[in-house]
Amino acid sequence: MNVTFLQHMLRRATRSIWENLYLNAVSASVIGASLILLGLYSMIQNNLSNVMDTWNKDVHVSVYFADDVNEEERIQLRDDIHKMSEVVQVRYISELDAKKWLIEEVSGIDETLNELGDNVLPASLEITLDAAMAQPDKIAEFARRIEKKEFAAIDYGVEWVDKFNTFLRMFHVLGTFVGILIIVAAMFLVTNTVHLVIYNRRNELEIAKLVGATQSFIMLPFLIEGAVQGVVGALGALSGLWIIHQTLLNQLQQSQTLRMVARLEFIPVGQQLLLIFIGLTLGLLAAFIATYRFLRKVG
Amino acid sequence: MIRLYNISKQYGKHQALRDISFTVSKGEFCYITGPSGAGKTTMLKLLYGAIGPTSGQLQVAGMNLSLLKKNQLPLLRQQIGIVFQDFKLIPTRTVGENIGLALEVIGTPRDLIERRVQAVLNIVGLPGRQHLYPSFLSGGEQQRVAIARAIINDPSILLADEPTGNLDGAMAVAVMDILQKINLRGTTVLVATHDAALMKRFPYRCIRFRNGQLETK
Repeated sequence: MNVTFLQHMLRRATRSIWENLYLNAVSASVIGASLILLGLYSMIQNNLSNVMDTWNKDVHVSVYFADDVNEEERIQLRDDIHKMSEVVQVRYISELDAKKWLIEEVSGIDETLNELGDNVLPASLEITLDAAMAQPDKIAEFARRIEKKEFAAIDYGVEWVDKFNTFLRMFHVLGTFVGILIIVAAMFLVTNTVHLVIYNRRNELEIAKLVGATQSFIMLPFLIEGAVQGVVGALGALSGLWIIHQTLLNQLQQSQTLRMVARLEFIPVGQQLLLIFIGLTLGLLAAFIATYRFLRKVG
Repeated sequence: MIRLYNISKQYGKHQALRDISFTVSKGEFCYITGPSGAGKTTMLKLLYGAIGPTSGQLQVAGMNLSLLKKNQLPLLRQQIGIVFQDFKLIPTRTVGENIGLALEVIGTPRDLIERRVQAVLNIVGLPGRQHLYPSFLSGGEQQRVAIARAIINDPSILLADEPTGNLDGAMAVAVMDILQKINLRGTTVLVATHDAALMKRFPYRCIRFRNGQLETK
């Protein structure tokens, strides 16, 4: 395969793209749409994992005092717990501090709380554990060890975090399955679109074969066309994802209740390159399948 | 140049060709003739590898087609020129691009293709028409473009399937003149036709078919 042959191939591919602009745009759009879905899934998965990581690293246990425990006993218990090796920090939160915190967090609740009095929320200890304790079993075991009659309740949210982890794993499996389905569907659609382009040009291709065109002469321009469709589709998808990301970011930053996830991150460069690679492969594979089927048919 | 030994071709239950053997020498001009359905087109298709024989041996331009692998077919086609009754020109390509396609498939540089296109257009009597589209040409001119495409890479064999079938008398004679001229340059020419008047006017050896069998001569 010499340079002149490649020049012919590039020229034929460019010409075919130009002459079948609509069908090429359809192929690129199908690839783009499927990559947007994959990219969105990636973005959601990444951000949920980030949130999960933050929660996993931030190992907290909240201990709520019973009503009959006085201030002195509370401080003593705080100090006892603080001495434990796996404890990094213990913060005592009095009834009044708890009430103040809730009034700051939830607007309009102050009147109701004031009517109920100062002791509406229980005093508590906010225990921060070592990062090595960031495992549901270890936290549960720690909670059992500090259990005392002075404590009305011990809350460590492990069950919830565990359930969320399970959800994330299921989301990952489901996402992979749906992702494969999307890619297969996109490939089917793009293959059929390339088929239409080939159908439009079948006379020309049959004549080329009659004058001695090799399989690579027939196939290569379609592969170049497929690669262009794939890359254009992928770049379109990344632009679309960036617009979606920016829109969501603006919406989240305006929302008070969702400001926790306001640090919504765009998909990392590695995954962006992966999307371009998937688009390229999709375009190439669809073009290969369609051309191969045509060549097998015409002999 | 062309050798056939006991070639038969069967389509399902229909026997298109039965036990055909003949030889065409290098540089010879030869007709394949016979009534419609006699097997002329099937014979040409066998010669350019569009179909394979059911039995027998077939040698074209030094290649044994019975042993030819699928990926070797382009090599055979690059050595022979083919002219069809319906011209088989690409309507969306200019005359020059249609003719140049036969060189493009073997990776010839563009400037050389352009020079060769001009040269073969001169041979077929259509100088300076390379920028026109086929639809702007008459039937006779289109057939001459098809001949130009068939000879642009100097093939050793030219196969023509009813090349004058769609043309009136004068045009048919003009096309035969060109084929004769090509033959005089050393190319083996094999023309499938049932035009008796034309064969009388341009007398060459006839290989006559009837009901898929060779008659004689």
